[in-house]
Amino acid sequence: MTDVLLQVAVILGVLNAPLILAALLIWLERRFLALLQDRYGPNRVGPLGLGIVLADMIKIFTKEDWVPPFADRAVFTLAPAVIVITGLMSVAVIPITETIGVTDLNIGLLFFLAMSSMGVYSVVLAGWASNNKYALLGGLRASAQMVSYEVFMGLSLMGVVLMAGSFSLRDIVAAQQDIWFIVPQFLGFVIFFIAGLAETHRLPFDLPEAEAELVAGFHSEYSGMKFGMFFVGEYVGVTVIAAMIVTLFFGGWMGPVLPGIVWFGLKLLFFILIFILLRAALPRPRFDQLMAFGWKVLLPLSLLNLVVTAGALLLWKA
Amino acid sequence: MSDAYLPILLIFGVSALNAVFMVALSHILNPRRPTPQKAMPYESGMIPLGDTRARFSVKFYLVAISFIVFDLEAVFLIPWAVEMRALGWSGFVAASIFVAVLTAGLVYEWKKGGLDWD
Amino acid sequence: MSDAPAAVAELEGRFGADAFTVQETRSGFPTLWTSRDNLPAFLKFLKTEVPRPFGTLYDLTAIDERFRQKRDGQPESDFTVLYHLLSYERNEDLCIKVPLSDGDAALPTATGLWPSANWYEREVWDMFGVRFDGHPALRRILMPLTWEGHPLRKEHPARATEMGPFQLPDERQEREQEALRFRPEDWGMKRTREGTDFMFLNVGPQHPGTHGVIRIILQLDGEEIVDCLPEIGFHHRGAEKMGERQSWHSFIPYTDRIDYLGGVMNNLAYVLSVEQLVGMDIPDRAQVIRVMMCELFRIASHLVWYGTFAQDVGSLSAVFYTFNDRERIFDIVQAVCGGRMHPSWFRIGGVAHDLPKGWQAMVRDFVNYMPDRLAEYDKIVMQNRIFKARTQGIGAYTAEEAIDWGVTGPGLRACGYEWDFRKKRPYSGYDQFDFDVPIARKGDCYDRALVRVEEIRQSLRIIDQCLKNMPAGHYKSDHPLATPPRKERTMHDIETLINHFLSVSWGPVIPAGESFVGIEATKGNNGYRLVSDGGTIPYRVRIRTPSFAHMQMIPLMSRGVMVPDLLAILGSIDFVLADIDR
Repeated sequence: MTDVLLQVAVILGVLNAPLILAALLIWLERRFLALLQDRYGPNRVGPLGLGIVLADMIKIFTKEDWVPPFADRAVFTLAPAVIVITGLMSVAVIPITETIGVTDLNIGLLFFLAMSSMGVYSVVLAGWASNNKYALLGGLRASAQMVSYEVFMGLSLMGVVLMAGSFSLRDIVAAQQDIWFIVPQFLGFVIFFIAGLAETHRLPFDLPEAEAELVAGFHSEYSGMKFGMFFVGEYVGVTVIAAMIVTLFFGGWMGPVLPGIVWFGLKLLFFILIFILLRAALPRPRFDQLMAFGWKVLLPLSLLNLVVTAGALLLWKA
Repeated sequence: MSDAYLPILLIFGVSALNAVFMVALSHILNPRRPTPQKAMPYESGMIPLGDTRARFSVKFYLVAISFIVFDLEAVFLIPWAVEMRALGWSGFVAASIFVAVLTAGLVYEWKKGGLDWD
Repeated sequence: MSDAPAAVAELEGRFGADAFTVQETRSGFPTLWTSRDNLPAFLKFLKTEVPRPFGTLYDLTAIDERFRQKRDGQPESDFTVLYHLLSYERNEDLCIKVPLSDGDAALPTATGLWPSANWYEREVWDMFGVRFDGHPALRRILMPLTWEGHPLRKEHPARATEMGPFQLPDERQEREQEALRFRPEDWGMKRTREGTDFMFLNVGPQHPGTHGVIRIILQLDGEEIVDCLPEIGFHHRGAEKMGERQSWHSFIPYTDRIDYLGGVMNNLAYVLSVEQLVGMDIPDRAQVIRVMMCELFRIASHLVWYGTFAQDVGSLSAVFYTFNDRERIFDIVQAVCGGRMHPSWFRIGGVAHDLPKGWQAMVRDFVNYMPDRLAEYDKIVMQNRIFKARTQGIGAYTAEEAIDWGVTGPGLRACGYEWDFRKKRPYSGYDQFDFDVPIARKGDCYDRALVRVEEIRQSLRIIDQCLKNMPAGHYKSDHPLATPPRKERTMHDIETLINHFLSVSWGPVIPAGESFVGIEATKGNNGYRLVSDGGTIPYRVRIRTPSFAHMQMIPLMSRGVMVPDLLAILGSIDFVLADIDR
């Protein structure tokens, strides 16, 4: 009985952490971007402007929650829920330390891939259900983006699976005891990182919402908390991808002196900041360019990575 | 069913509740002030011509179809990856042939212009 | 005028001396009157038959002559339509005027010769009610489609107080919205093609990517632009009409708002044109101050373009850096002029006051500071591979097309056509400065950017020369029509007091005549055509802006590209809505 209660407590803790983190990330992103762009960012509400998180939440919950009469009501409401649910569920398989973590699935990695693929539907559905032309174009771009990077996203991680011999994320971290996979799997890391950027629709791959072209893209018609949920979903997505990078390539909780949870947190923060830095630094490619890059460069590279890794492992064993 | 899946079920429940809570709360709190302008799809402030439920050319459909093929084929590589050590060289050769066939397919499509579109 | 340009002789040889009469103007190029019947042959001859032809229809406008007193020797006319042609090969201009009577104000279209005539003719129809027979789509362009009357006719009210209060009840709003509803059939566009429906998408007027209120209707097949149609006029404020009720002096602040990024650059074109009417000489110091301020504003304008162009292709940071740099320019402008974006600082005969103490230090700091920044922007924008992939080969046109469509400025130089009005027709003493005219080859979005970035460096060179060689002397002319008269020349005796009083309260009386000056402004060639009837206010102010001509090319540049490319093209043109709509 106590076991179950403990389990529930961990679930609530781990689950609410990304939600709070998502709220904080909005603050972090705005402040960090401002720093990079020679301006102040939010600095009025509370110390360091942290109160903006609360103010934003109050604002967004009390905005008009408009479902346009021309939209497909059910799908319109479902779409933002999908991105929040799939984002939060991906968190379940991430091993934060040896002991903290919701569950250790023997197919954890596959579960993560499945959830992130599901998440994309949120954007496509939102674009379609809005019955707005900008939104439709945004949704189409999201599906174009999906068919170009999903195919190599999974393959890019197979090198890691080969080396660890398991889909369990905890096993994968444990397998990095001697050397972090970033070293032998550098190519895989680069490919996965690019796929992850595309997965979360972050600049430079924010094509579905490219504000200069499509106003707000797939969420043009969204307002209030439904709009807010796409935001939360995006930041949970960023957190999850950063956590996966840490887990798969940077030894998860492992590190000297400091406790595991601190190491995990520091590494996580580092990659989140990299995500924000990229947003400040890069322009946005056109989506046919993105597709061509995915199919003609990254897909062959990830296949190559797979075969070479397997061959090298067998040779080394022999 | 493995015990490991119970938390997944729990977490699904909790996340779904979370999502429902967000939608519900804002539904309770939100003011409703409909206007004719709000009832129009946003199109830079102009009256839209036609709606989005039209026949629409999706130029990347060929890529989308190859995506299905390649993604399915990638699925076959996943079990091999995890059992690679046990399967040894014979498994490696088999997988390599499989990857070679995949690559040949990709090259064929590339050369045929299936990946180019505009 | 004394050695009559070859074009006049050629016309005389082809059509005989009776086919036209020559009008004396101050503009420095021939202005010919011909009849409606002769016009098509004239235009065709000048565009296609004459050696070294007049390739550009630089401007096409009209003058409502019905209330004009002083038109000695000019043919009888109610409405005069004016074709301003430009030949780059000859470096010559030529004006052809056609008189029309009020009851029968119609002309054959020139769209067959110059594609750019399309919008100009629509504008003349919109503003004066002159019809152009054979025009493909002669409808209003600047005014709302529901507007009644033609605003630049003299009988049309010029002030809001003459028209009754403006109200927008729901039913009128609905009517206006309905009038703006797009019907593809009206423009000869098809709704479907075999197997697919086209999507018609409004980009603008309320859209974050259009840099202002312009509407571009896209005919989309997927995301590919099959055709598109720019609609302008949302930013129209009647600047030309306002010119007809402002004194010569008090119109200066209105010019600042035309190309609102160009600041005093607009003043320059206007005051040069007024000074041409008067025949006023400007002291050297005033000239150099003007050049220095103009070049500062050229940099300020290019910096805004630089940042927003980068943002249009998704690079979010550059815009903050360039705006910060622009702030530094505004600090200098503020110290010198008092104002920032719209200083309205040039005066007829010079500038408003002398440079402040310590201006050298501010300008020197800026000239030393900027090159490093530009090197950094090169790295984050121009050398970025994604940026190159997004802009190279997109929205290209050839030099021939550019000349045909009336493109001037960086857009022309990006096609490899080395033409800068500062070099070819030096004004304000630009011939005394040492600077290069940057060009590029391919005429695509990237090349237009390259040219502008290099222009910033050349402007810095010019400013540096101003700094090192600022002449002593007066900042304003001694001429009695210089406005307001210089302080030290007023209030000595009753004569100077009266002169000052009249010049300030009524404004100067500018002698009757016509003038035209075009300058190399920030976005291309900006020209002011002024008609004086010998009064304290202009009879007609015509503002020829570069953006109007450039915007008309959008369909040519964007057919076959995708929606994101359209935004790159829009960004690369560097237009300002007020500069299009006036």
